[in-house]
Amino acid sequence: MAELYGYVGKIARINLTDQTVSIIPTTNYVPKYIGGRSIANKIFWDEVGPGVKAFDPENKIIYMTGPTTATGIPTGGRTVFTTISPNSLPEQYAWSGIGGDFGAEVKFAGFDGFIIEGKAKEPTYLFIEDGDIKFLSARNLWGKLVHATQSKLEEIHGQDVKSVVIGPAGENLVRNASVTTSNDNVAAKAGLGAVFGSKNLKAITVRGRGTVIPANIPKVLELRKKMAEPSMAPRPVVHETHHGIPGTEKPVPGGWKRAQVACSYGCNQHCMCLMLGMKSAFGEEKVNHVEKCVSIVAFGFEEDVPYGGPGGPGGIFQTEQNHYLACKLLSREVDPPDTSDPYFEQQFTPGPGDVLNFWKHDFEKGSVINDLCNEYGIDKWDVLIWLLPWLSMGKKEGVFDEIDLGMEIDVESEEFIKHLMDIIVYRKGYYGDLLAEGMARAIRVLGKEKFGDTIYHGRYSRQINKRLDLPISLETAWGHSVHWQGRGFEASIAKPAWVATNLHQMTSTRDTQTIQHHHDTFENYLELKDDPCRSPLTAQAVIMGENKAEIKDSVTCCDWQSPNLFWPDMEAQMFEAATGIPMTEEELNIAAERSRLLFRAITIRNYGRARELEVNAIFPIMQYPDPWGETVTWEEWNDLVDLYYEQRGYDKETGWPTRATYEKYGLKDVADELEALGKLPPAKK
Amino acid sequence: MNEKKQTTRALGRHIVQSPPEVSFCAGCSACEIVCSLVHDGVVGHAYSRIFVNKGTRSMVSTIYSCQHCLDHPCYEACPRKDQAMCLDENGIVYINEEHCIGCKRCIKACVFDPPRINYVHSKDKTKRKAKKCDLCRTRPEGPACIEFCQVSCLGLSKSENSD
Ligand code: SF4
Ligand code: SF4
Ligand code: SF4
Repeated sequence: MAELYGYVGKIARINLTDQTVSIIPTTNYVPKYIGGRSIANKIFWDEVGPGVKAFDPENKIIYMTGPTTATGIPTGGRTVFTTISPNSLPEQYAWSGIGGDFGAEVKFAGFDGFIIEGKAKEPTYLFIEDGDIKFLSARNLWGKLVHATQSKLEEIHGQDVKSVVIGPAGENLVRNASVTTSNDNVAAKAGLGAVFGSKNLKAITVRGRGTVIPANIPKVLELRKKMAEPSMAPRPVVHETHHGIPGTEKPVPGGWKRAQVACSYGCNQHCMCLMLGMKSAFGEEKVNHVEKCVSIVAFGFEEDVPYGGPGGPGGIFQTEQNHYLACKLLSREVDPPDTSDPYFEQQFTPGPGDVLNFWKHDFEKGSVINDLCNEYGIDKWDVLIWLLPWLSMGKKEGVFDEIDLGMEIDVESEEFIKHLMDIIVYRKGYYGDLLAEGMARAIRVLGKEKFGDTIYHGRYSRQINKRLDLPISLETAWGHSVHWQGRGFEASIAKPAWVATNLHQMTSTRDTQTIQHHHDTFENYLELKDDPCRSPLTAQAVIMGENKAEIKDSVTCCDWQSPNLFWPDMEAQMFEAATGIPMTEEELNIAAERSRLLFRAITIRNYGRARELEVNAIFPIMQYPDPWGETVTWEEWNDLVDLYYEQRGYDKETGWPTRATYEKYGLKDVADELEALGKLPPAKK
Repeated sequence: MNEKKQTTRALGRHIVQSPPEVSFCAGCSACEIVCSLVHDGVVGHAYSRIFVNKGTRSMVSTIYSCQHCLDHPCYEACPRKDQAMCLDENGIVYINEEHCIGCKRCIKACVFDPPRINYVHSKDKTKRKAKKCDLCRTRPEGPACIEFCQVSCLGLSKSENSD
């Protein structure tokens, strides 16, 4: 092919230790590995073996765009980082998506992605301009907050550069540190900021003057009009009088101003709520910042997200008439439900979420918390769903009586939270240093029984009007906090949904629900709802969700537009429009299976992943009741795991994929390597 | 915005951005992207005839494009006037790239800051070309940037000099 469509053709291997760059043709990997996370999985499998720790120079940061990035196909601006996550417990290979303009700029500079290796001798940043990669000193940037770093880089290189940077949290190896674009998009889930810090890498700054060429321009334009039905209507700045999770809003004195912006280059949506003129944590000057998803609870966390019914918030069980995207919810663009839907009555059965009483609504304090996370470069989930609720609950249960954080523990106090974040980010004192290790590790050092498993007595279900147990530490598998899992935050989903989200989490290495929200059809729901753990449909929907997540991080597209259950070949159409390579839904699914298998193989080879390990990792959180008082039994859960493994082509005893499964997806070499290591299940007679 | 000296200049119909009270630019870059796609079949900063200036910290974006000045100093400055810089029957100044020699005189002559003409750099001198908004004059659907703006914050000024 004379002209390359979609891809730009080069992956740069960048070695920070000896400051060298070499080029790998993207065609070494595509189209077999599609792009994005699929390529990253392949590279990691090939290049990083067992025994490497997150902060070792041998750990790599793999960054990949997709073939749709910068083609004009909506959501293609989303891209992916992978690495060994210091924020997972144990440290494991994980990934994190990111929006912004950075990925497009990388392609304009002539690269489909990078493999960053080694460790720089001193603070360094990469300056990439049209195929040229320079290692520059970051001495003058080290210590700067996220936005100051972004501004300084623009001052040095011009306003048209695009950067991803870390803040002080990443420099100080705070395990949940993030990497941030100029528009507050973050890769936060895999502790990437800390991996940057461990490599003395402060930022990557790019300017690209090149082009990206999509194969089918009329199709690109068609997708712009069709994907997620963009509203194509004026969106003025709105003066809001209230703020909070829809259905639980509280008045804001004087009101506030809201606008909506797109998260990534070339998207046709505006999911991010831009809060204008907000209080800053670092000065008198007001700032604009983005609220997306979890940051909403910074402003007040007295009750959980309301229940909407099986088709309610998040739209888990969908019909053709009633399915909408989470991003539409955040951009406050959801149309009222279609009442002509024959299932309407069953789908929408609203009810209040649990009373939690973590902290009262305080608009200014909420703004300060979000600003602290943005500027230090730290994952908001860990702060808002784990650290602060833990302090709130633990204080009420008296577990911190012996602990001196240098100030009285009080999550209602802005001053306390500023102090807390300061001691963590700069690792001040014993407890600052300990909490910088992340919640999962800190709690184990303190003693999990008391500091993790103590029951909070302030949770009250309004579904069954009863006090229900909740542990003070909202931990789920792999050192992450709960997310759409039936307890804690966004817990108001019933068992047929939360067994599925917990299964997603079980096979992951990080919080999955930010990247693969669970979806299924309402018709399946009616079949599986009475015994979801014994229905093959539950496992089938989880597998679909996992594969779609691989696809969306590879093509690339966005978790908030994909999957569309009623347009299943959307991603195949996107891929084909970008690359000109014919692609069907089935073929793309095969590529996703392959990528997923590589991920599974990495976790088996490098981290000893097996059935017992993963079942034991996820089971404990489901022993706390959901808002209806429901839990899952060991037998139920294992029956569901059986169904899942069976459908996946894994051996039920070990949880390891069989040779036949690897070979079916063209991964015989992977099977051979695992067999040599004794990590292939015995062949069935 | 730094619209040097020219606030009273006579302008033809041109692309305008709504004030935030009417519609707030989402900063999605779709206008830039579709502009270069429909004209050149590529996506790339140098190929867009419209530019989105995004505030790094503020996330407030400002749109720049040709104001279609009625006295068209860019056209007057072109050494290949009527071959490279051309004027159509409706008074729209457009660039016939085949004849554009990439001398940048039109860019220098643009009275706005930043200049509203884009430029493709190339090692190959014959490939250096100026890019300027032609209001999508040959596109039956009209201006692509307006059509694809997801928040309809772009429009055509109603009449000469208005916004
Ligand atoms: S749909 Fe929303 S979140 Fe997804 S890429 Fe577009 S703007 Fe970003
Ligand atoms: S009117 Fe056409 S040429 Fe002018 S900026 Fe818009 S898309 Fe580009
Ligand atoms: S298409 Fe509209 S919303 Fe998007 S950057 Fe252009 S003017 Fe702004």
